[in-house]
Amino acid sequence: MSETQSKSSVKAKIQKFGTFLSGMIMPNIGAIIAWGFMTAIFMSPNGWFPNKYVNSFTSSMLYFMIPILIAYTGGKNVYEERGGVVGAISVVGTIVLGFPWASPVAQGIVYPTLYPYAANKSTGIPMFLGAMIMGPLSAWCLKKFDEKFQGKVKAGFEMIYNNFSQGIMGMIFVAISYFLVGPLLVISTIWIGHGVDWIITRHLLPLANLVIEPAKVLFLNNAIGNGVLVPLGIQQAAKVGKSVLFLMESNPGPGLGILLACSIFGKGSAKSSAPGAIIVHFFGGVHEIYFPYVLMKPMLLLAAMAGGVTGTFLFSILGGGLTAAASPGSIIAILLVSAKSAYFGNIVGVFGSAAVSFIVAALIYKMDKSEDGGDLAAAQGQMSQMKAAAKGQAAAEEDSSSAETTVASYKDVQRIIFACDAGMGSSAMGASLLRDKVKKAGLNLPVTNTAVRNLKDEPGLLVITQEELAERAKEKTPSALHVAVGNFLSTPKYDQVIARLKAASQAAPEAEIKEEKQKQVDKLAKQKQFDFDFAAVKEVDFIRHDQHRGTVTMASSMFKDAMKQAGKKTPVKAVRINELTNDPSHLVIATPAAAKNLAVRYDQIQVATVNDLLKTDELKGLIEKLK
Amino acid sequence: MKLHKEMIKLNQDVATREEAIRMAGQLLVDNGCAEPEYIDAMLARNEDVSTYMGNFIAIPHGTDEGKKYIKKTGISVVQIPMGVDFSDPDTDEEQLVTVVFGIAGLGNEHLQLLSQIALFCSDVSNVAKLADAQTPEEIINLLDKVGEN
Repeated sequence: MSETQSKSSVKAKIQKFGTFLSGMIMPNIGAIIAWGFMTAIFMSPNGWFPNKYVNSFTSSMLYFMIPILIAYTGGKNVYEERGGVVGAISVVGTIVLGFPWASPVAQGIVYPTLYPYAANKSTGIPMFLGAMIMGPLSAWCLKKFDEKFQGKVKAGFEMIYNNFSQGIMGMIFVAISYFLVGPLLVISTIWIGHGVDWIITRHLLPLANLVIEPAKVLFLNNAIGNGVLVPLGIQQAAKVGKSVLFLMESNPGPGLGILLACSIFGKGSAKSSAPGAIIVHFFGGVHEIYFPYVLMKPMLLLAAMAGGVTGTFLFSILGGGLTAAASPGSIIAILLVSAKSAYFGNIVGVFGSAAVSFIVAALIYKMDKSEDGGDLAAAQGQMSQMKAAAKGQAAAEEDSSSAETTVASYKDVQRIIFACDAGMGSSAMGASLLRDKVKKAGLNLPVTNTAVRNLKDEPGLLVITQEELAERAKEKTPSALHVAVGNFLSTPKYDQVIARLKAASQAAPEAEIKEEKQKQVDKLAKQKQFDFDFAAVKEVDFIRHDQHRGTVTMASSMFKDAMKQAGKKTPVKAVRINELTNDPSHLVIATPAAAKNLAVRYDQIQVATVNDLLKTDELKGLIEKLK
Repeated sequence: MKLHKEMIKLNQDVATREEAIRMAGQLLVDNGCAEPEYIDAMLARNEDVSTYMGNFIAIPHGTDEGKKYIKKTGISVVQIPMGVDFSDPDTDEEQLVTVVFGIAGLGNEHLQLLSQIALFCSDVSNVAKLADAQTPEEIINLLDKVGEN
């Protein structure tokens, strides 16, 4: 029982890893297609419309553009734009090691033993694999670094911290990629090449595909094809007029079979995108397009290997072979360079390998569907999680929600983001207020701010927005907790959020509640008892005083609000001291100093003195008795 | 960054929030922080999402698209002791504002000052001090103290 469990979890892990890898490639398929078609159409001398000027930059697309895009995407998948940029920086260290024309480096000055490719100036290693390693790795490290230090940055220094930590992290990782990861990749590519070489010299040709197919899927197709097979093929073709070696990597059959199986038996976006991929792959010769399908479902490697072995076997016994390298590996290019006597063998080989890989791939897809139990369970788990998140969301909206449900969801909060329209002002203010409160509460949570459009849905997020933006924020981050505030400065919600976070982290909400109650008791005690002739009061006045005009405006406004909340109708006014009439219909609220002035002028007016006009709590008792 | 005396206007009487925003924006323009078009961006942003922050404070600033009109970072202050209503004219709820901070922010250098303003103004009696201030220096000093403790 436990064995099957661990088996399925290993499988799930492989699956997850494959999805992670293909997630770096999928968004960049467009770039790969652009490069592939440019190469197929303009390559000189074998293209459809050879053009050496265009041809001269297609290799830059292959060696620079695509790896940088992949590294960026890989980094971004791990840690948003910040991770993307650091990933793009880091990959350059491997790119220059694989680039065939990079001057002193590829000439072997730094790592002389690593550059058998440097001599053959047309073949380098496009560092797709390097990108798939460096991008996520550097982004992950930056993420960990930020988790440790970002919360400790003083307000106002965020930009400096952000840019410099990113730059320095990029610098470190570009060095790591140049001195460590790059050389390892170059060495392993060479070893894989040696392996293929060894198999070929032992005349075990079909077995070579057991190495070639997995290497292809890891984007080593160019290194194996042009680096190992083509040079050997050229020697052989020079002797006997044709060579099977040209076909071993460029055979589009295995990829065709896999894509066909996917478009029939696959699911979701893979299924719907596979037919288009077939055209690009089979007629355009851009094999890269099927690699992510295999990465998503690593079992499909078996299909690719079976197809590859079959193809090479059929080419060998049926006398197939090409007179020159078929590059790119499209069916058109293969037919163009087929030896005259070899058409039959080549066509049978390509379609035979397609048929075999189709059958194996179909079986794999089918098998996966029938034993969907594990997936289903996972999906169900996800569903319940989503439901819980949705519940938490609802709970956050309702202030009156019971403590239990909110505690459960607040427990998962890992960071708080304030979102506003431009990310320029209001959210920054809100964030610094809450950051202060979080710190004082002894919680260890990063609080940042951003523009709504930059929000990204990720686990453990608490998003705080203004009510007007709540809709947009929810669209962007459906699985996050949301709190909408009327305004960022004076909202009781911050304290609620803090209390809930605290309750969730300490699991001791009773103490909080007690504290809260104590506070209320204190507040009540603060309320003054007033003894006035309330029946006579027709108007509450605040005195405008030249030195404190602002305060009076604010105090009267707050008092008005408090009256409104209590449902009282007596008008509230702010007046100059000489605008009052001397009778008890006026109840004046004033500071002790102002009260003295009043007493000099009027003797009938009722005066309530308070030390601080803005502490409306103290005036609650007064409001209660007013009309 | 710091507040500049020239960018603080005291004792203003304005009738509408638009007037208040224009005044804060004009200070930014006059002190070389923004092009005149930025004022329209400030008004647009306030139409979209109110820049009323609570506690009698508003911080009008431009929309995202308006950022291109910013020449350099700056914060202006308009003190309106009699207050001006920042609420939507369609509602009868009142959002009185006595201190307006106009913001032109490039990058993040204004954020420290903004966070000082936020911390300071989260206590309404501090806002009252700003609203009562008699000289620009008083406002600068009040906000300066925040960072110290």
